[in-house]
Amino acid sequence: MDPYFYLVIVAGLIAGASTGLLGVYIVGMRIPFIGICISHAAMAGSIYGSFLVFANPTLTAICPALGGIAASVIAALSLAGIRPERSRLDTNVGLAIVFCLMLGLTFLGIGLNQASRSEMLGLLWGNILFTDRAGTITIAAMAAVLAIFCALFNKELKVLLFSRSIAAATGVHAGFVYGLLLVLSGVILAVNLPLIGGLMIFSIVTCPAAAAYQICTGHRSVVIAATVFGMLSALIGFVVSFYLDLPTGACIVITSTGIFALAALYRSIHATGD
Amino acid sequence: MTGGCLSLSGVQVRRGRRTILDVESLQIPSGAFVGVIGTNGAGKTTLLKVCCGLMHPDRGTVKFAGKDLAGLGPWSRSNLRRGIGYIPQTAEYNWELPFIVREVVAMGRVSVRPLLSRLSGADYEIVDDWIERLGLGGLADQTFRSLSGGEQQKVLVARAMAQAPAVLMLDEPCANLDFNWKYQITEIVERLYHQTGVTILLVSHDTSLLPPACSRIVLLHEGRISADGDIDEVFASEALQVAYRCRIETLNIGGRKYVVNKNQTLGA
Repeated sequence: MDPYFYLVIVAGLIAGASTGLLGVYIVGMRIPFIGICISHAAMAGSIYGSFLVFANPTLTAICPALGGIAASVIAALSLAGIRPERSRLDTNVGLAIVFCLMLGLTFLGIGLNQASRSEMLGLLWGNILFTDRAGTITIAAMAAVLAIFCALFNKELKVLLFSRSIAAATGVHAGFVYGLLLVLSGVILAVNLPLIGGLMIFSIVTCPAAAAYQICTGHRSVVIAATVFGMLSALIGFVVSFYLDLPTGACIVITSTGIFALAALYRSIHATGD
Repeated sequence: MTGGCLSLSGVQVRRGRRTILDVESLQIPSGAFVGVIGTNGAGKTTLLKVCCGLMHPDRGTVKFAGKDLAGLGPWSRSNLRRGIGYIPQTAEYNWELPFIVREVVAMGRVSVRPLLSRLSGADYEIVDDWIERLGLGGLADQTFRSLSGGEQQKVLVARAMAQAPAVLMLDEPCANLDFNWKYQITEIVERLYHQTGVTILLVSHDTSLLPPACSRIVLLHEGRISADGDIDEVFASEALQVAYRCRIETLNIGGRKYVVNKNQTLGA
């Protein structure tokens, strides 16, 4: 088998694990729309970052990633600063406006960048050809940072999952930990974006975690199951994509949604009220 | 605690042009059991959120343990809030997540421990103690979402008390519970008050939920305090009839005071 395939598999497994783990908090805190906004900011940032490649072709490998990270971190910090109680605007309406802006900027960037439209579309749908050794190391490093963050702030994250109001009212450093989580979300989404695709990445954040919440008892088992489901989604999606020459992101989305459907079916069959 | 446990001075909260809370002065000393009553929309939850720092007033000061919450940075404010046990309404917590009861109660120890540390064996002894004290021993390994509404409220009380708070703030703790569970929850709160001496601020639109230990009632009407005194004084006041827009009779059953509508609605 082509050694390149192994690199793709390793990158995919790590990407699936990190996005699955991230999903535990995005889904559990009921902030999927914030995650979608951040992933679209990463997509817009990657596309504008790739403009710099033409100015300096030696930066091919890092420009889209840096653009994506910068845009997603800015979006994450802005979203962390939303104070619903101080605004007349409903949070979801505000997020919808940010989401539309990011989508508009993305397609504007694609329109402006006529020369490499296929690469731009690759950022939307995901492309295993974007995988290289440096990219895989970056994905692995960021996944390790996320895992360390989750371990270090495990007790605070659990309270935030249960109730941000309780966390804030009772002296948990909620704003600090929540802000860090959103920034880290932006970075994770940005580095995994070329592999999975900006339009597709949110599926692998949402579905594995949602599946884990369906069938698990206790926080630790949710974390383990969501991580494993994320890895399975990426692995099956990549293998199918590689052998059938289908878009990577689409294969991962369908796989992760299938895992969620199976988990929901299992829960409905074994529904005992836990 | 010096300077009173909680004090509000000249507090105003506005939404657009509407003032939803306007409290000239409110002092809640350490060890008090204060009930906040009023009709829906009177500003009770807003008052509670202002007291625990979840909402910032547009004007005025809120002091907890003698320190102005608004004058502190986010880090210091969080540290100060470790003394606040807060039980919100159902909509403010994710009851459907598969946390087990012991995990939820252990959340009460999180703010007590510094960042980057783990809960210790001593923390879990406190957690298990509160689980037993509230009669939840048999449910410790069950998921929170599988419990009844009343059992969930007991878990939330255990979580708040595991924090060893100086003040316990409860926002409609008996909402959506049947009358037996309502009685049980208020009885538990009263028992905790006698056992621990924790300061209690209990918000309820239902005047029958105030246990005998609740020595002081604050009546809110359209965002303002319209009566403040002992239970007999407030229940007998004209302000209560104005707030609830009906003629009221007070009944005393088993040491608890109940107000009933005398079926004579006053003019709109």
